[in-house]
Amino acid sequence: MTGFLVKRFLQALVVLFLVSIIVFVLLHMLPGGPARAILGPKGTPQQIDQFNHQQGYDRSLPTQYFMYLKRLFTGDLGDSYKLNSPVFELLKQRLPKTLLLTVLSTALAVVIAVPLGLLQAVRRGKASDYALTGLAFLLYATPVFFLGLIMIILFAQVFPVFPAEAPQGESIGELLGDFTGLVLPVVTMAFGIVAMFSRYMRSAVLDNLTEEYVRTAMAKGQSSRRILVRHVLRNALIPLATLLGLYLPTLFSGALVVESMFNYPGMGLLFWNAAQGSDFPVLLGVTLVVGIATVLGSLLTDILYAVLDPRIRSVA
Amino acid sequence: MTELQLTDAGPGTPAPLLSIDDLHVDIASRDRTVHALDGVSLDLVPGEALGIVGESGCGKTMTALSVLGLLPPGGTVTGGRILFDGQDLAAASAPTLQDVRGNTVGMVFQDPLTSLNPTMTIGAQVAEPLLLHRAGIGRKEAWARAEEMLRLVGMPQPAERMKNYPHQLSGGMRQRVAIAMALVCEPKLLIADEPTTALDVTTQHQILELIDNLRQTLGMAMILVTHDLGVIANRVDRVAVMYAGKVAEQSDVRGLFARPRHRYTEALFAALPERAADRGTELHTIPGLPPSLTVRPTGCRFAPRCSFATQECREREPELELSVEPSVEPEWGLVGAAPAAAGQDAEAAKASPPSGHRFACFHPVPYGDAPAEQVVTPPPATATEPGEVLLELDALVKEFPLSGGPFARRRGTVSAVGGVSLSVRRGETYGMVGESGCGKTTLGRIVAGLEEPTAGTVRFDGRDLSGLSRAERRAHRRRIQLMFQDSTAAMDPRMRVGEILREPLVIQGVGSRAERERLTAELLDAVGLPRGAVHRYPHEFSGGQRQRLGLARALTLAPDLVVADEPVSALDVSVQAQILNLMRELQRERGLTYLFISHDLAVIRHLADTVGVMYLGRLVESGPAEQVYAHPLHPYTRGLLDTVNVPDPAAASGGEREPLRGETPSAAQPPSGCRFRTRCPFAAEVCATTEPPVSTPNAAGHQVACHFPLAAPRLASAV
Repeated sequence: MTGFLVKRFLQALVVLFLVSIIVFVLLHMLPGGPARAILGPKGTPQQIDQFNHQQGYDRSLPTQYFMYLKRLFTGDLGDSYKLNSPVFELLKQRLPKTLLLTVLSTALAVVIAVPLGLLQAVRRGKASDYALTGLAFLLYATPVFFLGLIMIILFAQVFPVFPAEAPQGESIGELLGDFTGLVLPVVTMAFGIVAMFSRYMRSAVLDNLTEEYVRTAMAKGQSSRRILVRHVLRNALIPLATLLGLYLPTLFSGALVVESMFNYPGMGLLFWNAAQGSDFPVLLGVTLVVGIATVLGSLLTDILYAVLDPRIRSVA
Repeated sequence: MTELQLTDAGPGTPAPLLSIDDLHVDIASRDRTVHALDGVSLDLVPGEALGIVGESGCGKTMTALSVLGLLPPGGTVTGGRILFDGQDLAAASAPTLQDVRGNTVGMVFQDPLTSLNPTMTIGAQVAEPLLLHRAGIGRKEAWARAEEMLRLVGMPQPAERMKNYPHQLSGGMRQRVAIAMALVCEPKLLIADEPTTALDVTTQHQILELIDNLRQTLGMAMILVTHDLGVIANRVDRVAVMYAGKVAEQSDVRGLFARPRHRYTEALFAALPERAADRGTELHTIPGLPPSLTVRPTGCRFAPRCSFATQECREREPELELSVEPSVEPEWGLVGAAPAAAGQDAEAAKASPPSGHRFACFHPVPYGDAPAEQVVTPPPATATEPGEVLLELDALVKEFPLSGGPFARRRGTVSAVGGVSLSVRRGETYGMVGESGCGKTTLGRIVAGLEEPTAGTVRFDGRDLSGLSRAERRAHRRRIQLMFQDSTAAMDPRMRVGEILREPLVIQGVGSRAERERLTAELLDAVGLPRGAVHRYPHEFSGGQRQRLGLARALTLAPDLVVADEPVSALDVSVQAQILNLMRELQRERGLTYLFISHDLAVIRHLADTVGVMYLGRLVESGPAEQVYAHPLHPYTRGLLDTVNVPDPAAASGGEREPLRGETPSAAQPPSGCRFRTRCPFAAEVCATTEPPVSTPNAAGHQVACHFPLAAPRLASAV
């Protein structure tokens, strides 16, 4: 098990290295190069040369990449053009908040989706299955901004239970302190995920119910309910683990809409503002973080696999 | 033991433990309802072993499943009762059924690979029934008893195995776990549904022995469901033969095998390759297919396939009636000790008509007829002249790398074929026999050009295949064709039969369009399929018809050699006989050469001129079929022959059989020297150090690779 994790972690490092190369290449694909991007269309050729020399952009590409890596390791991702602050500082401030939003909404989604999927599978073909399936598709097809809008209208305006704006604290502690403000963004984000996860859960449970080990468990005298909990659940969670890992980076960027909607001070909002202001260092910094999230997501999948499925543990 | 011995029939007949009475089961799917069971009645006294035998779809498994209320989705009991211990299980509530399942009735299923939960430890799975049914038992005690049960089913190192997961065990060991699970609450009845069908011959034997022993120790009754007449002959007291959702015949086991009365039973026995008088004999076949059971057939269900059927058979349904012959002494209560008693009583059974023998047939096999043999048509006796050598393998080696992925280091090699040399003559059938993992399939794939050998040469018609250019190799392909076990999987499901048959011709650029069509029509004639089949898809055909298609596809390019890899293993006995006859007939007509790969010793014996026996990548013995079977020289061959379940209760009890023990070691670390030495009763030090040389101590052409070949010729085996 440990050997498997170490191996998997080393593989993740290799992929992260590749991610850094891609981000580096993106940096150099900016229209007119970074100098033009910063100095704007009015920058004179002299200014551009000077800028390139200062930043080392006139050196060879491998040297530049090496310098870029060195800066990366020291946490230097450049400075924001607009916010007058190092990108690293901005990310350090915003990332935990987005993580909080993502983790809370994913956890909520899993907690709702797993029993929901089980229920649907057990009631397959009955009215409740069709109703829940219909609702799931409706939620799945609804754009997040529209869902958020409905939530705001319903729960902040018609029935003013929760505030329409997310808490604006500096630290996680402050955010959690103002919990009611978190409810609407978290629930909005979770709803879209629930729809997808419960569909997967339903079909995974249905697949497993036809497996012969379920018949064996019945032949032992287990009740249907306990067969679901003791035998089927763990096996059915295996495909869900794949989905979770693959979905993590999407969730991360999905936070973008929710954050800008509820004015939640996370990375999504940062990215949104940076994109509108052509703040390239910030955009690239966020891209790097999303890249890392993707790699970590698939690492998470593998860890979950190994926890859930003993067959994978022994292959490694 | 005493209470298991004899239970008198007659007035003192013990109350049955299980009594199935006029059971009707329907299986409803979206568009149709199958009447899977239509009035099945069976009785079982405590301690008795009942075999239910029949071909696929006859309802034997449904009968077994309905006892525990485990029918598949859509399945319902629509009539009849299942009385077990005074309770009607057919009408029982879910909690009542749950109380019986795993507690007083244990069940073992066919496939040990899928019937265990992959994410639970062995210990948790074996202890589960105890925790369910033994109120107040603690987890600790349940685990201790589970471990004890594992020891009882012959699991080595049970304490460590408790913590293992199913995938860490071999198939045979997993089936032992399944048995331990079924028996841990010491049930009164064990239902075993094809418990050994997915296992190798030697493992099969070990599992059946184990069930036998446990049955005697625990004194339980058993229902053994199987399609294998060899298994049923040696392991049960009484047999029910099922056909199309009904019991066709019921009798004590020796009576049934010695004197089948129902025409279906008779035909089933006659279709066995073991019962064919000799090699080269046509096998008796049963024409047609069983009815579909979506509508209840009128009259006898076997009538459309029965050569004795009359108008009466087609109009009226025969009842299951007691055999009217003067019955001497009822003895169907004979329990438990059947295999031991069979030897002495075999003669007696033949002399006096068996009692309690019921069958549902208007025109039964008359008494006094010699069964089975008579039905076999006389041999056409065309001993093919051995031609020149067509295929020659020289020190053929195939190794597969073992690695864990693109970044992982190579962790070793699997030696699938470890130096095999043999030659196949034109026009003969070379039968390659061995257990799963012995390398026979890999060998076949190399011969067919689907795998490159790691070392050694394949010479075909005098030419070394490794020396061929790409174009030559392509052209050469047409001369060797493959026939698979599962022809459905081997055909593109979206292509029509016509396209499938024409495709090889198109690829090789043979003939014009019209010629190709003529050729496929001729092929369909040859394999006995209607010409209209070209417009249909593979899934529209039955298993036997698909094998006919597989054969037709293999013959499209008029090959010299057909490599047939387990072509009849998935088929029922009666259909198997049709395919084997067809293969033989086409061989005669077209001068084909077969490399016939199978695990089934009886099929190989029936069909092959020359036999090769493989064990763990090595050819341990080869030679003319009669010689190898009559005087096996290698201890493995002899062990295999002794392990096989002969479909004859009388023959099986004949004393000194020495079945193979142990399991085949991993091909990733084959034993040094002789690879069989770890399981060989004669192994000495030299076997571990030196690879055994090939010798011919018996007769020229009969080769053996063994340091201590068996010297004494033994009596012809009953296979």
